Amino acid sequence: MALSTPEAVGTAPAKSDLGSSHTKRWALWFTAIAVLVWVFYSFILPYLGSGAQTLVREWMPLGSINEALVWVICAVGLNVVVGYAGLLDLGFVAFWAIGGYTAGWLMSTFFNQISNGIYVLSAAPPNQPGIHLNFWLVLVAAGCVCAGAGIIIGAPTLRLKSDYLALVTLGFGEIIPQVFLNGADIHGFNFTNGALGIAPLDNISPLPFGPSTVTIGKATIAISKPLGPFDVTAKYVIFVLVAAFCVFVSLRIREGRLGRAWLAIREDELAASMMGVPLMRTKLAAYAVGAFMGGLGGVVYAVHNNSVFPDRFSFAISIILLAMVVLGGMGNVWGVIVGALVLAWFNSTGLPQFGQSFNSQFGTDINFPSYNYLLFGAILVLMMLFRREGLFPETRTRQVLQEAERSDDEELDGGEV
Amino acid sequence: MTITAVEAADSRPVLLRREKFERGIGIALLVGVTIWLIWNFFAGPVQFINVGLAGLRLGAIYALIALGYTLVYGIIELINFAHGDLFMLGSVFTSIVLVQWFGAGTGSAKDWGLMVLTLVIVMGLCAGLNVTAERVAYRRLRRAPKLAPLITAVGISFIFQWFGLFLNGSSQKNWPKVIPDGGLVLGQVTIDWSTILVVVVTIPLLLGLSYIVQRTRQGKAMRATAQDQDAARLMGINVDRTIAFTFALGGAMAGAAGLLYLETFGTTRYDAGFQLGLIAFTAAVLGGIGNLQGAVLGGVLIGLIQGFNDGLPYGFGQKWSQTVVFTILILLMVFKPEGILGKPTIEKV
Amino acid sequence: MTATVDTRNALVADGITVRFGGLVAVRNVSFTIPERGIVSLIGPNGAGKTTFFNVLTGLYRPTTGSVTLGDKDVTGLSPHTIASMGMGRTFQNIRLFGLMTAAENVMVAMHSHTTSNIFQIVGKTRHQRREEKEGREFAQELLDFVGVGRHADEYARNLSYGDQRRLEVARALALRPRVLLLDEPTAGMNPQESAVFVDFVRRVREQRGLSILLIEHDMSVVMRVSERITVLDQGEKIAEGGPDDIRNNPRVVEAYLGRTGTEGSAR
Repeated sequence: MALSTPEAVGTAPAKSDLGSSHTKRWALWFTAIAVLVWVFYSFILPYLGSGAQTLVREWMPLGSINEALVWVICAVGLNVVVGYAGLLDLGFVAFWAIGGYTAGWLMSTFFNQISNGIYVLSAAPPNQPGIHLNFWLVLVAAGCVCAGAGIIIGAPTLRLKSDYLALVTLGFGEIIPQVFLNGADIHGFNFTNGALGIAPLDNISPLPFGPSTVTIGKATIAISKPLGPFDVTAKYVIFVLVAAFCVFVSLRIREGRLGRAWLAIREDELAASMMGVPLMRTKLAAYAVGAFMGGLGGVVYAVHNNSVFPDRFSFAISIILLAMVVLGGMGNVWGVIVGALVLAWFNSTGLPQFGQSFNSQFGTDINFPSYNYLLFGAILVLMMLFRREGLFPETRTRQVLQEAERSDDEELDGGEV
Repeated sequence: MTITAVEAADSRPVLLRREKFERGIGIALLVGVTIWLIWNFFAGPVQFINVGLAGLRLGAIYALIALGYTLVYGIIELINFAHGDLFMLGSVFTSIVLVQWFGAGTGSAKDWGLMVLTLVIVMGLCAGLNVTAERVAYRRLRRAPKLAPLITAVGISFIFQWFGLFLNGSSQKNWPKVIPDGGLVLGQVTIDWSTILVVVVTIPLLLGLSYIVQRTRQGKAMRATAQDQDAARLMGINVDRTIAFTFALGGAMAGAAGLLYLETFGTTRYDAGFQLGLIAFTAAVLGGIGNLQGAVLGGVLIGLIQGFNDGLPYGFGQKWSQTVVFTILILLMVFKPEGILGKPTIEKV
Repeated sequence: MTATVDTRNALVADGITVRFGGLVAVRNVSFTIPERGIVSLIGPNGAGKTTFFNVLTGLYRPTTGSVTLGDKDVTGLSPHTIASMGMGRTFQNIRLFGLMTAAENVMVAMHSHTTSNIFQIVGKTRHQRREEKEGREFAQELLDFVGVGRHADEYARNLSYGDQRRLEVARALALRPRVLLLDEPTAGMNPQESAVFVDFVRRVREQRGLSILLIEHDMSVVMRVSERITVLDQGEKIAEGGPDDIRNNPRVVEAYLGRTGTEGSAR
């Protein structure tokens, strides 16, 4: 066996290119775009002619951007589980649901048993029954509840090998929404209102104090005003902040010892454990962090729709999230953001709009939105076949999935007993 | 592992404390379920038998689907997520071929003949789809890290669902059945004709599959490949063709299950495959994934469990049906992943 | 190569038996590693060496018997716990984290010795920053010690074979182990490289004050570096002693050479 081979030269980078300059560049770009979007919709759009306004409203309404941001939050969360730690989770929708229902419980008149109402810095009108917590508090609460759920789900299951783990998470992804669906009558207590869901939710406000709004030109910027269904711009700002928080946490964790441990586990679980990395605890941490973000996404989604319904949390959502992570680049949070934005927009607005234009142009009657199953399925298959590392691979990740994998029987036995 | 130091086992293997605990729980569970069943039986014997027969019928259909899962898992250790949707497509294909093309109504001899023909056609179509999926997607990823083929299977599941959507529309469709309603009446109990059909179709299929796997050369090749792919290749077995053959068999089973489903329930839905597929997978795991008899045993058991849960007066009811089954799945995976007939693998990490 | 003066034992394995179903892989093997000693475990293929190794590191639980590291019983503890208590190892087939740099590989092994939790990591507190800095410095020190210091920021998979072997040792040393287990470390080396490696092993023992257990097939290395050699065959200990004792032991010779069939030749 040749030993002293000369140092590998060639196409692979010799030194690691994990520079934070790379990260800073992406962060700068996204911040700039986020601000520009806000500026556009607040200040520029109102001044444009009706033709332009219609075009924007049909193809890129701020509402669909907001919904895309919900997907971004959840996709960033799933990226921690699948991309960083390499654990295939097919039931992420469970956390989305738990987050949503937590919002429903803590920000509405649902618990009308509490007739005097519990208010904490809420923007809801006073003297109503139920629990009314401040939006930001609910975010934290939902995140923690979901993190807890993640730990409960993960504790018995994370030691399974990857295909079994995928199935168990799928099972949970099915069970939990069904529990919510059947939750109108559990031993006589109405937990979730069953198929009727919880609606409406309290109005939220950006801050619990300060002036109601601030006006600049034609733009009204809400500060403490309770946001109604038309305050899309204000909600946009809030959603962007939540998303930015998730990205920030994601990046920071990746840098530290936990991120290293995840990488090591993803590469070689056995060797990692023999180097002192506690497998269960580390995997649970990934689950908990991902679940936390899923919970945040659930709350934001509930606020976006001003309601929580059990039939929204279908298995397909877990798969769509997976497609976003796979497309964007597993482990690369920036790629995942792009993947989520593009796919969410396409799913909610792009495809139906395109279908409408196409049909009216050519007089056809094709049901375009029904093709989204084909789209997402094809994305998963094609990406796995041709570009497993995603559209925006990290330097590392690009090499992980493309390497001729080590054969499965290269165990410690080495053939001996 | 090379065996160089072989020692006859002691008269009774030493059980670790944890295994004793698990065995105790398993026995307690069995006793509990048996008591519950007896209780229900005495609460309403006729209902019990009817529900049991319905469960058996469903169980046979699950068994056919579970066989497909277990065949594929046994040979390449892949959980074919798309298998349930293949079953759904089987039912959709049946609705197209038997009802729309052949115009089969109820009960005439010609219709029965057409149904048999449709069975062959649908089994062939589903087998073909499965083989195509393997050829196009899974074969390239055979040596890839585990995540890749799993995700691909999920993607193909979605594509199959789209196909079902395309052919069948987004809502449930109802179709006339060749099977007449009603059944064989024995005293107070009625055995549905559909139950009889399911049994009549399933048993020969199982026997045929068993024969293929145990007695033919192809079957031997399958078993060899399942044990050690590289060794099989060195022995001159065409591994690619063997795997394709396995996929074909599994697909055919799913197709048959699809036809039986249509004849039993008379409906097709584009999303029926995913749900029922997952339940069938639970059955395969329950029986012991990779084990053919286990798939059948598991299928029947899960069918009965679901039937009893939904139909008996002391069950949780149909709205909790999936939760019950998936809870079983999760408990199995966590405590006894090898199922009833499987062999426990040494837990390494 | 006289016996070590220190009579305490870094590691004691007592009556280890490993049974897989009906197969007994290791039968009633007792074994000690003296403090600051260099010992070897040899035997023909299939003798049970690797299984025994895996019991020591916690990968397998022995059917009977116990393992004591220092003064703590570590039988049946999980591998990561045993590793953090001071048992480091390298692998027969190199198992580095190829996509991490050399420095990162070493820092992974420091996981159990650092304490920053999630909140401290996200908040980049002073404690966490200090741990990271110290970690990096210690990693660099270890990399320099084994001789791959200048490759600290290169991906592990790009290093040469010899450098990868050294990196594995550096990584194991990051656990601050009492006992270092080396699994066929000279596999694939030519005689010059093996000689360099023998000196390296001694240097590790001198400068880091730990005990070393080698599994080896290369007899010249074994004879040169070991203070005591234990021989396994078919799961049983058939001989134990200094190099001269073993070299002339008829049972050992028979175990290696007196077989028909494919086994027997040293790699």
